[in-house]
Amino acid sequence: MTSSFKSIEENLKAEAGKLLESGRVEIVLAYGRGYDENHPMPFVAKHPSDVANMVFNEYCIHNLARYLVRYPRGTKIAVAVKAADCRAVIQLIQEEKIKRDDVVFLGIPVYGMKNPKTGEIIDSKTTCGMYNPVLYDVLLGEEVHGQKIVSPYDVLADYEAMDKEARWAFWKKEFDRCIRCYACRKACPMCYCDPCFIDQSKPRWGDKSPQSHGNLMYHLTRFHHLAGRCIDCGECSRACPVDIPLYLFHKKVAKECEEMFGQAAGMSIDDKPALVNFRVDDSDKILE
Amino acid sequence: MSRIGVFVCHCGLNIAKTVRVSELAQFAATLPDVVVAKDYKFMCSTPGQEMIANDIKQHKLDRIIVTACSPLMHEQTFRKVLAASGLNQYLLTIVNIREQVSWVTHDIEEGTAKAKALLNGAVYRARLLAPLTSRVIDVNPDVMVIGAGIAGIQAALELANTGKKVYLVEKNSTIGGHMAQFDKTFPTLDCSACILTPKMDSILQHKNITMLTSCEVSEVKGFVGNFDITIRQKARYVDHGKCNACLACTEKCPGKGVSEWDEGLVKRKAIYIPFPQAVPQKPVIDRDSCTFFKKGKCRLCEKVCEQKAIDFDQQDTFIQVKAGAVILATGYDLMDTKPLIQYGYGKYPGVYNALEVERLFNSAGPTGGKVTMRDGREPQAIAVLHCIGSRDKNNSEHCSRVCCMYSLKFAHLFKEKTSADVYQFYIDMRAAGKGYEEFYNRIIGEDVKFIRGKGARVAQSPDEEGRLIVEAEDTITGKFIKVPVDMVVLSPAMVPRADSRDIARLFNLSTDKQGFFMERHPKLAPLSTMSEGIFIAGVCQSPKDIPDTVAQANGAAAEALTIVVKDKMELEATTAMVNPASCCACQNCVRVCPYGAPFFNESKGVSEINEALCKGCGLCASVCPSSAIIARHFTNDQVLAEMEGLMEF
Ligand SMILES: Cc1cc2nc3c(=O)[nH]c(=O)nc-3n(C[C@H](O)[C@H](O)[C@H](O)COP(=O)(O)OP(=O)(O)OC[C@H]3O[C@@H](n4cnc5c(N)ncnc54)[C@H](O)[C@@H]3O)c2cc1C
Ligand code: SF4
Ligand code: SF4
Ligand code: SF4
Ligand code: SF4
Ligand code: SF4
Repeated sequence: MTSSFKSIEENLKAEAGKLLESGRVEIVLAYGRGYDENHPMPFVAKHPSDVANMVFNEYCIHNLARYLVRYPRGTKIAVAVKAADCRAVIQLIQEEKIKRDDVVFLGIPVYGMKNPKTGEIIDSKTTCGMYNPVLYDVLLGEEVHGQKIVSPYDVLADYEAMDKEARWAFWKKEFDRCIRCYACRKACPMCYCDPCFIDQSKPRWGDKSPQSHGNLMYHLTRFHHLAGRCIDCGECSRACPVDIPLYLFHKKVAKECEEMFGQAAGMSIDDKPALVNFRVDDSDKILE
Repeated sequence: MSRIGVFVCHCGLNIAKTVRVSELAQFAATLPDVVVAKDYKFMCSTPGQEMIANDIKQHKLDRIIVTACSPLMHEQTFRKVLAASGLNQYLLTIVNIREQVSWVTHDIEEGTAKAKALLNGAVYRARLLAPLTSRVIDVNPDVMVIGAGIAGIQAALELANTGKKVYLVEKNSTIGGHMAQFDKTFPTLDCSACILTPKMDSILQHKNITMLTSCEVSEVKGFVGNFDITIRQKARYVDHGKCNACLACTEKCPGKGVSEWDEGLVKRKAIYIPFPQAVPQKPVIDRDSCTFFKKGKCRLCEKVCEQKAIDFDQQDTFIQVKAGAVILATGYDLMDTKPLIQYGYGKYPGVYNALEVERLFNSAGPTGGKVTMRDGREPQAIAVLHCIGSRDKNNSEHCSRVCCMYSLKFAHLFKEKTSADVYQFYIDMRAAGKGYEEFYNRIIGEDVKFIRGKGARVAQSPDEEGRLIVEAEDTITGKFIKVPVDMVVLSPAMVPRADSRDIARLFNLSTDKQGFFMERHPKLAPLSTMSEGIFIAGVCQSPKDIPDTVAQANGAAAEALTIVVKDKMELEATTAMVNPASCCACQNCVRVCPYGAPFFNESKGVSEINEALCKGCGLCASVCPSSAIIARHFTNDQVLAEMEGLMEF
């Protein structure tokens, strides 16, 4: 670690204070104290005095991009973003949900973040495995260099070794455990639809009770809705109370998208969302 | 509760041979809400239509399902039956059991089963259909014609003569196309310029025609009746408004470029007109060969131009044109024969392609109409090789249709202009046009040597420098022969323009296997395309001669006229709309719509759809994550019901 968690927290407080004081932003999205040290929570600062309650430690895993779309369009917001979170904000800008001018990226270069539930270090297995934000206005620590870079798709090896039937059986078994709490959707920065398709009654896309068919409909459609958009923060999987490894499916789709369209989600504000953009040289593999 | 009538068509034996039609009708009668189900030999015939009309009255039907051919064929026919019987025309459903069933199987079990499944789905959907009202829009009365070869010229003149305003867009700096490069035209051997240049001049003079040379289409928006097209005009570095066509500049210019018009056989100036009868008669500067652009010094043209028309700072400009209909007439390229190394084109100076030879014959061409070769000699023996690249699985599978005839024309002109022996190497002679067989017979009488066998290879003669040997199998005698000649003429395949797929994309057209623009129907709608209001004429559709090209041009003009002659037109009611309560503002719809119909309403924070632009393709509905989009006539409920019906099988 190039900068300690403590120094990042100090910088965060200082920058957030400045931004609120100067009126540059109305809101700072960051982390605050939870019921204990190991469980910090998303925190919204609206007054310079709020920043005293901000924290930053290895358990600040939440992707705060999730909260950006809650505010009316045009609200000036600063948001604390780690690498994957930053990509989520960029993806939202690509989707024109928010404007670049309305957000201040408080970039956090970091590694060694831990899952508060298990204490495990989260790395390329469940996230995109990047250390430095790809875009920022203010950097809250020194960039991380010299750490081993692992492809976020390496974790797919076992999954990809399965044949079609095995994969089907695998997911059927996983989805059968789903209790339809929708925590995955709630945690996801890209799941901003209101209403979500699955909550609609006309037409009724899928059964709402936690049963095989409806579960399948919900998850497969959600995966499809996130194709080319999921930035691999891993929040959905961490939010899941029954530990369904959703990230495997998301990573697999992301990998195929990247291979097909030469573009990973949320890497540049100049990109257009891959699946709703037509380029003459687009691969036809998707049709095969 | 609806009251559905199902009408099963036999289409003679077209459908009846692979679908048990009466069984299908009996099956239909068992389905929910179906009040009457019948089968009949030809449902589209007058008695067939009357049967439907009577049943609507007698059984008080409020939904009609016709299981027959593709809706492209007869949807309009049956809609009219509904309308005449007082039913909303959108309460009709066509189930395509011909193209999608009987024509894709030989197995009557399979055919009948699939027809039942499709019909079951259709009944489920029909029960949910709602009456819709068509929209009426204003039509822009002008027409755009793209490409000013003989096809474009003819179409533009026809339309302009009816009083319509025409924009004629040409990529080149002159209009005329390939025909302007020729000396004589088969089969009558009349002088090409004599029949073409009067038409070119009429284009220039016509008050209803706006001629836009050095122009290409860069963007197309809108739809039939209301196209909004952006044209990019390349910088010509000469202000054509000021230029009085004295051409003093072209004399003084020291720059040297390769004459595209003369197929690269000679040089031209950097400021030039392509050929003496070019229209407009005003020069353009080619940046690549201009001394000033290359070295920063010269500007001789500027000095001699009394009109002060030279403008080295000119930029590409964009012109915005609105039109009700568009005719594409972008013609063809000749296949590049260099990759066919067995023929030695580009390697042996004695090997020519057909267009080069056209320029040799032309009195305004590089040799003033004399047949002299690159080395200055007059050939003593000439071989014309048919079907180079055409009718060839490895290159262009199609027959280019005109090569036999122009090869015969070449034979005649060679005989007229030289004392050479002329050989024709052909697979078989295709002379199926008015006066063509007669023309062939005439050339046979002119002491031309016909060898039935495709030229297989052209090689350098080992004995005589500059002599070539043509190798072929004479399929009449079965012998392998070698013929020594001085000059070899290749008659290459006519192929689509290099940019034809880009043009197709701009206008939402399909192309065939070769890349020629695809017509709506090969027999019954050869000039229309799948994009309404876009028509095609000439070789951009497929290889053909000038008479056929002109006939198509006239036809396309008439087709375009059927649109722009009306000041209003009815549009399909099947458009999409956004339910603002469900829209999550992802703007996917805005991004995917090929017609630019959806837009984001910043103040309401939701997307909306401009109904006038929407064609009802349904793309937006399929990418809307929160199903906020209602595609009328194909609503989610209707489509899901249909799928449910299908999946019961
Ligand atoms: C060697 C040879 C000899 C022939 N001799 C005869 C003959 O004697 N008799 C006969 O009946 N037929 C003959 N033909 C056939 C004849 O050439 C065609 O039938 C005729 O020229 C077709 O005209 P067109 O207008 O369709 O195409 P073209 O003549 O190719 O004209 C197309 C025009 O569109 C322009 N254009 C292309 N792309 C664009 C674009 N993107 N935007 C704007 N403009 C564009 C081009 O610059 C051109 O001016 C011969 C063909 C060949 C190859
Ligand atoms: S799907 Fe999961 S990993 Fe992907 S962006 Fe949403 S929360 Fe993050
Ligand atoms: S699952 Fe689909 S519809 Fe639901 S919130 Fe996520 S993206 Fe939107
Ligand atoms: S968080 Fe887990 S249990 Fe809850 S809906 Fe998502 S997958 Fe199902
Ligand atoms: S796709 Fe649907 S949700 Fe997205 S902006 Fe359009 S109407 Fe709204
Ligand atoms: S249906 Fe949707 S995508 Fe298709 S033309 Fe209409 S608005 Fe555009």
